[in-house]
Order: sequence, then structure tokens, then C-alpha cells
Amino acid sequence: MDEKIAPHLEELTRALGDIEKTGIRAEFDKLLAFRVPPEVAKESILRKFGGKRKILKVKDLSAALKNFEITGRILDIGEKAIRPQEGVKEGPSKLYTGVLADETGSVVFSSWKELPGSVGDVINIRNAYTRLWQNRIRLSIGEQSLVSKVSDSSLPQLSELSQSPAKKLIDVGAADFSIGAVACILQLSHREVLIRGKQSKVISGVLGDETARLPFTAWVELPGIDIGSIIRIEGAQVRMFRGMPSINILSSTKVSSVGPEEAEKLVFTFESVAKDPAPMKIEEIASRDSMFDIAAAGNVVSVRPGSGIISRCPECSRVVQKANCRVHGKVEGVRDMRIKAVLDDGTGAMSVMFPRGLAETIYGKTLEEAEQLMFSDISKDAVYEDLRRILTGRYLAVRGNSSKGEYGVSFVAESAWVPEDDLAVRVVELLHRLGPDDEDYVSEVSGGGINLA
Amino acid sequence: MLKREVAKRVFAKEFEACRELEKSTRSASEAADSKSPNLLISPLGLILNRVFIVGVLTELDSIGTQNEMWKARIVDPTGAFTVYAGQFQPDASIFFSTVQVPAFIALTGKARIYEPEPGSIFISVRAEEANVVDEEIRNRWVVDTAEQAVDRLEAFSDALASGYRGETLREYLLERGVSEELAEGISIAIEKERVPQVFAKQLRASIRQGLRTLNFEAEDTTGAKADQKEFVLELLREMSGGKGIDYAAFVDAAVSRGIPEEVVEEVVRSLLAGGQCYEPRIGIIRFVG
Repeated sequence: MDEKIAPHLEELTRALGDIEKTGIRAEFDKLLAFRVPPEVAKESILRKFGGKRKILKVKDLSAALKNFEITGRILDIGEKAIRPQEGVKEGPSKLYTGVLADETGSVVFSSWKELPGSVGDVINIRNAYTRLWQNRIRLSIGEQSLVSKVSDSSLPQLSELSQSPAKKLIDVGAADFSIGAVACILQLSHREVLIRGKQSKVISGVLGDETARLPFTAWVELPGIDIGSIIRIEGAQVRMFRGMPSINILSSTKVSSVGPEEAEKLVFTFESVAKDPAPMKIEEIASRDSMFDIAAAGNVVSVRPGSGIISRCPECSRVVQKANCRVHGKVEGVRDMRIKAVLDDGTGAMSVMFPRGLAETIYGKTLEEAEQLMFSDISKDAVYEDLRRILTGRYLAVRGNSSKGEYGVSFVAESAWVPEDDLAVRVVELLHRLGPDDEDYVSEVSGGGINLA
Repeated sequence: MLKREVAKRVFAKEFEACRELEKSTRSASEAADSKSPNLLISPLGLILNRVFIVGVLTELDSIGTQNEMWKARIVDPTGAFTVYAGQFQPDASIFFSTVQVPAFIALTGKARIYEPEPGSIFISVRAEEANVVDEEIRNRWVVDTAEQAVDRLEAFSDALASGYRGETLREYLLERGVSEELAEGISIAIEKERVPQVFAKQLRASIRQGLRTLNFEAEDTTGAKADQKEFVLELLREMSGGKGIDYAAFVDAAVSRGIPEEVVEEVVRSLLAGGQCYEPRIGIIRFVG
């Protein structure tokens, strides 16, 4: 038997390194114990651990990657004791968590084994994987990962990496951990929340610079700062919520007002940032993971099934199918209306969700009127068909937030309107770009001549 | 990621000049994916499969024998699209079974190419969804489509003028801010055509004429000429009735009332291009609505 599997083991060793130590050998044996033929077992092991090994930078990390290699400097590390679950004889008992950074960004990591380095050291991790944890990407170092300390590395020094990089708001994303920015406060509101049984004041609002807008939350007071203030933030934390970054101002964050002299040198002012966003190409929206408070315009090319009258669970607001909530079982649903439509401008397409208020406006019927239609018609799709008849092909402009998911861009509309730009002006502009009737012919002849020559 | 494919805006003239984009010219990963759609490429390098068109439905025939099958003609200012909808496009088929000809309609569909023998190529649209719209939406579509076509024409002329080819051209265009897909498309299209500038020139002329039919331009014709046009229009409306009128007979009638033949021709041409008029049969003119 050993003779049969020896060449496969050799091949695995060649491809994956020390297979005894990393537990790959054990996994291979386990497959054999299940009477998986050795060749097949080898192939699945190779697929799982080997194959093309990718070397990634922090900014390239996305959810659910596996089997890649990454090198970074440890910015922070701590350990947590984990109580083994009942029934598990020997679970891992310690979890090491911290922050790893390279020149492109920083990422939270967690490791099930002790790492060969501490704060300031550069480590190389092979066979690492990522998970989504609390809406953020987390780098995971598992039993099968190979971690080695890199003694001479060209990575920036600890002091440089741990500085929070100053960013434009549009560049803030899931790979950022802590950032600095200069931005203008566009919206601001105070609210009181209970945190661990204690009443605390929280400030939430919207920040903007010339590139984008982002929501922010401050867990500390911001004396002297109000709507219209331009502020400099250093060491703010970036949190992800439903794929959208938000900036958290904590007690460790430095916030200062930008004086009028310095503000003059900025490329934006409160007035320029506070303007309503101009519609952008959907192509551009699709090139970003998420965008906050933007506008787009296009044609409704399709009204998706599930639009129209729906019924929601009174407890959790989930959509109820056949009077059964996924979580709360049999419930008396609450009627609601929504529209899901594909908006396409010829450069890109995105799925836009219109909640009830907007759905009623663009449909031109209220929920009650739609209900009447539903009850007066024998077809259960009466409202959906009516929506399609009214909306398909129409022009709409929308404003709201976009995020990119498994099925492309989805956009939640906060307002919607029929775009009214002056076609006559655009036609004149186009005719100008097309040039006069005859010029074409002349330039064509000379152009052709050049090309032939 | 299973992304919805973008519906391209394209005029009939550019659409019917499309050819199949050979799989070998696509990137390896895309070609390997069996789900990748049938892509076409226009002489200007527009790569397309799904399209969104708004125009005048001028003809509609039920051509199916055993299974339902609709064949429709949708006219835009540069030409006409041939559209099919069969039993596997239930939404579009139901729409065609209820719509009245003529009408302004908006339609999404996928481009199909059919080559029964070398040299004869038929390009059509397999309808997905369609709806009746108003003239305002049609006009917007014409302007939108013209804008995107002009962007493309400019990138294309730029590419020709640069003298680069292949990979160098692609990089040059990317640097000029042209989208990745169009940069790729243009570098393929330039290789394909022997005289690439000819089509560009024709399309320019068509778009120019199409935009003028929208009647947004300041009227530069003299009062007398405008009156003559108005008269021709009224005459045609009167004479064409429900069934339409023979074109030659109409010209004779107008000339006998003192209108120059060129003016008659000009009015009819602009009405045809603008979609207010169409030819149910060759030589017969009929008013829309």
C-alpha cells in the first residue's frame, strides 16, 4: 500500500512543502481511510492547499478568499482564551488577534496558533484565508497555515504603518482600519443611546469632501463643531455596515477645526460639497464597492418580480411568504409596497430598490389604490403587471446609496424624479461635435490619404 | 459574479453592421465560461449583446405556424431593427399580441446573428421586455444614443489618427480615458475593417440627420418654405387617410398644387426618419397616429 501512495506523497511534498508538520499528511490519510483512491485524494488535497499560490497585498483582500500568501508587519497583537465548546474534547484554547499591515492598508487577523513574532515584526503567512466577521474582512491563520518570520523586509517601519493614512473619502474602504481625513460636516444630529446600561450621547452625521460623502458617528463630544465646519480627523476608525464604510470618531481620535486661512487652500468649500450630487455614470458606480449619497439616471429596463404589494412580518419586517416568516413562523403580515427595478444608462446596470413612499410616487398609485386593483383582478400579479406597464422604458433619476454584492450593484433610492435636462441644448451640442456636413467628407479624404501612405 | 448585462444604446445603422465577435479574440477566461453571451461587435468597436431601443413599431406579423412567433420592425432615425419574440419570450409575446401598430415602443432584447450562407448575414433582436412609451422618451433615447455614438466616433477617430494598432492602441485609448471594453473593441474593429473610416462617416451623417428630425434646432428656413412644408404635411395627412397613399401619386398631387418636388421629398424624408410617417409597403406612405 505504502508503495502505492509513496509517489503521491512525494508529489504533495514537492508542491506543498513539509506535509507532515502542517497536518496535510493527516488529512491525506483520512481521505484514504474513507477509501478515496490515492490519485483522487492527492488531487483534492492539491486543490485545497496548493495549486496556484496567490501572493496578495492587504488592499486586495476580499471576503472568502483562501489559500493565498501575504506578508505584513504586526501592528498589534493580543491573546484571548477560548473556552472549548462542550462535547469537544480538545479544542484550540487560545486565539491570537491583532492587526497586520503592509504599505497598502491594514487588516484585523486572528490566529489559532502562536505566531513567530510580536509587535513590529514582519511575518509571512502561506495558506491564509479570509472570513467576514462583523462586516469586516478578517485574515484568518489556521492550523494549516505556514507562518514564518521575515527578518529583513522592505516594508515600511512600524511608526510609519501605524500612522493613520490621510485619505480622500472616496478611497476609504474595507481594507482601511484607521484613517485621517479633512472633510466638511454636512449633517449632524445628536441622540442618546444606552451603551452597557449607561446613557450616552452620540453624534451622527455626514462628512463630505470633493470626492465623496460618508456617514460618521462620534462617541465623544465635538465642541464648537457644527454643520458647515471643516475638520481634520486623525486616527478615526473605519467600520463597515452593510458594505458601506462609516467613520467612527472615538476618544483616541484627534479632531480639530480647519481655520479659515487653511480652508481657503482646500479644493472644496461647504457650498461646493453641500450641493446635490450630480448624476454619475452607472459604470463608475459599478467600479466601486459602495457609494454613499450619490445620484444616477437611466431607463427602467425591467421591473423585477417581487415588486408590488408585499406582506411583512410585524416583528422583524422581513418579507413574509405564504403567511410564514422565516424567523417568527406564522404571522399576520403587514401590507407594504415596494418596487425593485433595473436601471440602465447604457454604461452599466443596477438594481434599484424603491421603498413604499417612493414606490407610490413613481407608480402614481397609493398602497390602498394598488390593493383595490389587486382585489378587483383575478390575476395575483395584477399590481406587478400594472407596474411593468407603467414603468418599463421610463426615464428615472435616483439618489441614494449603492453597494456591490453577488449580483452586481444594488441601490437603495432615497429620492427619485424624472430627469429634466434640455434636449434642445444637448442636440445643438451634439451637432457641433459632429461637425458640419461637408467637413467630414474633406477630412475623410485627407485622412484616408494619410492612412494609405 | 453573475452580473446583469448592460443594455447598450445603439442606432439601427450601427446595429445592423455588427458582426460576430469571435471567441478567440476574447480573453481566455471569458471564452472558457460557457455562460458567456453571444457577443457582437460593431464597426466602431462597440461590443454588445443586450440592447435597449426606443422607436416606432411600424410592422408586426405573427409568423409562427405551430408555435407563436412575432416579427416586428422598430424604426429609429437611422434605420430599422428587426425584432423577434417567440414562446420563450412570453413577456414580449404578450406585449406584441396586444400592441397597436404604429406606436412608440421601448424594448430590451438580445442581439442574434444568423448567417444562412456566407455573405448573407441577418442581425436581429430577440425581445425580452417591451412597453408603449411616449414621444418624449423616444426623443431622449435618440439624444442619449447619439451622445454615446458620438463618444464612440470620437474615440474611434482618435484611434485611427494615432496610427497605433493592437495592444499599443488599447493602452493608448485607456490612457485617453476610454473604457476598457471600448478600447478592446476598437482595437479589434480596426483590424477587421479594410476601410474603417467609411462606416464612421456614414454614421456621422445619419446621426446628424436623425438629430435634425427631432425639430429642436432653431428653424432656419424662411417663412415661405416653412409654409410650404406645413402645406405638404397637411396634404399628406389628408390624402394618406387610414390606408396610406402611393408616394408617386402624392408627389404628383403636391407638385400640381405648386410645391417644388424637392420640398415634398424633404418633408417626406424627414417624416419617415422622425417616425411620424412610415412605409407599410414599399412606395406607400402612411401617417402614424
